[in-house]
Amino acid sequence: MKDILDLLQIGGQQDILSSLISLIWLMLLMSFFLYPGLSQKIQLSYMLRDLERKLNRLKAIDDDVKDRTIKTLQTYAPPEIDVKNELEKLLDSFIISPESMDPYGIVYKLEHIVNTWEDRFEEDVVKICKKADNIRVKTLTNLVEVARGVHFIYRFVRHYYLLGKRTSNIYLILQIQMLMPQIMEIANAYRQASYAFIHGQPIGDGIGVLSVARLAYGREKKTYEIAKDTIAHELDFEGRRLILVRASGPGGTVGRPGEGVQKIVEAEGDKVKLIITIDAGLKLEGEESGKVVEGVGVAIGGTGVDKYRIEEIAKAKGTPLYAIVIYESITEAITPMREAIAKAADKVIEKVKQTITEKVESGSTVIVAGIGNSVGIGIT
Amino acid sequence: MFSYKSRSDRIIEPLTHLTCSNCNTENSRPFKEGDYVFKEVDEKCPKCGSVKMLITGIYIEMRQEKERQE
Repeated sequence: MKDILDLLQIGGQQDILSSLISLIWLMLLMSFFLYPGLSQKIQLSYMLRDLERKLNRLKAIDDDVKDRTIKTLQTYAPPEIDVKNELEKLLDSFIISPESMDPYGIVYKLEHIVNTWEDRFEEDVVKICKKADNIRVKTLTNLVEVARGVHFIYRFVRHYYLLGKRTSNIYLILQIQMLMPQIMEIANAYRQASYAFIHGQPIGDGIGVLSVARLAYGREKKTYEIAKDTIAHELDFEGRRLILVRASGPGGTVGRPGEGVQKIVEAEGDKVKLIITIDAGLKLEGEESGKVVEGVGVAIGGTGVDKYRIEEIAKAKGTPLYAIVIYESITEAITPMREAIAKAADKVIEKVKQTITEKVESGSTVIVAGIGNSVGIGIT
Repeated sequence: MFSYKSRSDRIIEPLTHLTCSNCNTENSRPFKEGDYVFKEVDEKCPKCGSVKMLITGIYIEMRQEKERQE
């Protein structure tokens, strides 16, 4: 033993403690050489600890949103209803996408499934919140959807954390760990969105609806419901017939703008010379929030059904499609509206007016669709 | 126990912006339950005293966002 310790000595005589430390260092070094998986195991345990910390934070957000949703629903529910239990059922509910092996007609199949889902979800909220009026029911349905979204994020991350831990799969953990900053940002945004829906405050996504509402405000017009939760205003603008389509407010709904626009074009025939869609669009990092940009096509997010309907009818009639997009981040889109976004409505109106006077002749019809969630935005 | 609330997690309450139906004076106050854009409210105009005001906007002002970041 003494010979080995003597061999470890560098630069002369050492005491027993220094020799012991040198020996430990040597053993550690050897363990890395002889057992190559050790470094990976250490890395995995570090990553799992980091993921566990973030998962705890996600759980706290999930519980926070759920508690707040239960409290809000309880204010509109009769005492005999077990709100917590009913909410749990809604949070675990799911939607199955249509089969795509034969893609023919898939858009209308998807539309049918999504409409059934939305109607059922709303009916279930009505069953719980019997004291809520129609407008409030829409906003409460949005609130439950937010709670469901946060709950899904938590379940999704927990699944990969537990699977990665059980199988000691560093690559699985690595992938979810890399996505965690964005996932945490979205979860936080959902938490703030729940506040907006509880109080019925306008959110960033509603800028399309707000722009159209401002355009219609103070003008003589005819207003009617064109599709479920979707209204149309007919008015005159410098000799042109202007038909504005938007989700009915002030309850939280996105309506069915695709169906609305399609019905109008079918009824108006060849008189429609232009379709303009206005919507919030995701900005790239470094871009300014509330920036208004113009383009061509249909500015509508979501499942793609509304976009498809408008594209189909516009192609059949040869109607040009113009789009105006207001840049914002994903967080800004689902949280209470920011000043820069709210002020963009005036710029949008100017652009719409300019486009109509430049591109459409007097006597023709123009459809302007304001896309987005109408929470906190009344009908003008 | 575990706290997840950082400075950026704090919720900012938006302001309700009102315009007087009589003299067009613009005014703002903290958001109240039941407010929505284009709602006519029976509130007194600080300038002309008229009791009809219109909610023209509900949003978070830039200064509120800056205050949160500080």
